[in-house]
Amino acid sequence: MPREVSALADILADARVWRLKDASAAPTRPVWSTGCSSLDARLPGGGWPTASLIEVLLDDTGLGEVQLFLPALVECQRRASQGRTGEAPWLVWIAPPHEPYAPALAQQGIELERFLVVQPASATEALWAAEQALGSGVCAAVFLWLKGTDDRWLRRLKLAAEAGGALGVLFRPERHRFESSPATLRLAVTKGEHEMRLDLLKVQGGRPGPVNLGGIPLDVP
Amino acid sequence: MPPTPQTDGRPRSKQLWYAAVFPELAEGHSAVLLQRLCMHAQQFTSFVSIEPPNALLLEIKGSLKLFGPLKRLHAGIDARWRRLELQAYSATAPSTLAALWLARGATGDPVSTPAHIENLGRLPGSLAELPIACTAWDIERLQTLRAMGVTRVGELLRLPRAGLARRLGAATVQDLDIALARQFAPRRAFVPRERFRARCDFETEIENVAYLEKALEPLIARCAEFLRERQAGVQTLRLKLRHRAGPATCVDLGLASITSEHRRLRDVLAQKLTRLELEAPVRDMELISGALQPLSAGSLDAFAGRLSAGAGGRDSLPQLVERLRARLGEEAVYGVVSIAEHRPEAAWRRVQELRPASTLRAGEKMADPMMTDRGMPRPLWLLAAPLPLESGLILEQGPERIESGWWDGKGVARDYYIARQARGTRHSHGARLWVFQERQSKRWYLHGMFA
Repeated sequence: MPREVSALADILADARVWRLKDASAAPTRPVWSTGCSSLDARLPGGGWPTASLIEVLLDDTGLGEVQLFLPALVECQRRASQGRTGEAPWLVWIAPPHEPYAPALAQQGIELERFLVVQPASATEALWAAEQALGSGVCAAVFLWLKGTDDRWLRRLKLAAEAGGALGVLFRPERHRFESSPATLRLAVTKGEHEMRLDLLKVQGGRPGPVNLGGIPLDVP
Repeated sequence: MPPTPQTDGRPRSKQLWYAAVFPELAEGHSAVLLQRLCMHAQQFTSFVSIEPPNALLLEIKGSLKLFGPLKRLHAGIDARWRRLELQAYSATAPSTLAALWLARGATGDPVSTPAHIENLGRLPGSLAELPIACTAWDIERLQTLRAMGVTRVGELLRLPRAGLARRLGAATVQDLDIALARQFAPRRAFVPRERFRARCDFETEIENVAYLEKALEPLIARCAEFLRERQAGVQTLRLKLRHRAGPATCVDLGLASITSEHRRLRDVLAQKLTRLELEAPVRDMELISGALQPLSAGSLDAFAGRLSAGAGGRDSLPQLVERLRARLGEEAVYGVVSIAEHRPEAAWRRVQELRPASTLRAGEKMADPMMTDRGMPRPLWLLAAPLPLESGLILEQGPERIESGWWDGKGVARDYYIARQARGTRHSHGARLWVFQERQSKRWYLHGMFA
């Protein structure tokens, strides 16, 4: 019956529905290259998944954790300003631990006219703001810094990211490592001898484990 | 059978401007008076513009259908000024400046009949006899012209353009082009300083915010209608909730851009109301708009642009910002700009207005191609105030000497390094830091982190 067939297609098209046999195949949603080939090689599709939630676990700032995502953001803004339709170029950072320093962002190539900082008074408000921004459809990426949160909120963020087509990145302390999380991708960032160490804790459609960043200095522009 | 339009074969202009000059209006208080006259003029056309110091321009091409023919319409507007017991000199012409010049040319001659020029071809001829003072150019330009022996506009039109531009500036030539309708000069439409005000009295006192929200619906709908009729928008709104005793509760709304859109007004008010805690029951409420502002094509989608259109009915950025600000507060949502300044703490600032190009001061930039390949990298996090550091740093890059600001009393003399905290120390194990040594005190400070 054509009607039922289309209903099934609708269900399968819903981003919340996972088809088991597709799990290992390349995802259909676009990915953004990380700018680091050894990391790209480890991620399904060869880059950061968009329209999803990524969780970064780390205990301290200053390890180059934001730097991991900057090449992708710059590239995304560049594509959007070239007038490709359907690209939403706004970047929103919610509750960053320190002031995002404009000269550094400009130096890296971020377009500051499409960059927004939100400083909410509480964690709940930060989560609410992140959900609004992710689901709005005008943001390319929404970064959120939090001390802790529960599983239910993470699910809401993930749904909002999928609905709005944005990349959500959540930075949390490492103690949440052993909690379950609906994030598509979970990374742990720790200090190494000379550079940061990156561990893939969970990769939907990929293989977890430490990533050799290949000596490519991520933290020097 | 409808009458066939009469044409005489000569080109007709797409626009027709009526100008009125009020010689009695003195410099000082004319602005307010002109605004009141604008409201009278708006009976005849929706497009009225104020021409300081003492004139009005009305676009009347579109009004001819309703009030025409031109002679009758022109006389009708003139009669309005007479009823106000105001002396006025008027003229109609296909261009803004021609109408103004002709009206000024008639000034002081009470028996003159107002000029009505509908055809572009008659324009140069009718302007020719006007004295050059009608142009209201600055005294220097007029003196230069008189010294050249030019006293009438016609003589001016015969002069070679290149020479005229060289002697009197390009603006002069441009004015002539505008007067002859060869070039179009945009005018800013007058928008009255009205406000929307609507009140709703409750039969019983209301304690429930949800009920308030429902009662507010028709007020918002009326407000949107009011704005739409006037082709205007607002950027601020105030909701006043009155109680039986004590001062009224005011809920103030700021919008990220000028709007008249029902959905946006409703969303932002609803968001604000859900956060409201009523201290006392409400007896009545009043919705008051801020000053009306003209809705330009730009304010409709200045920075939402094609994105909101492409996303198929999703939010635009102003909507998102408004929703965030309504709940988190105005100050909580901001942008940043980078400033050409050596002192790191002064090289940036927050911006509240999210239409950056207009809010930037000299030397500030949103993105700087020069910055991307400047020597020493800057850290992504800057500490609000430099933090004194103990020893145990491994310096990796530097120094970069920054010595600046001695002129405003906040001078700095520092050597900046990129450093790493040595193992075993308390601070930020292994993080890359931006540190500096104060050159006078030799003390070390942490100023930023490479996140």
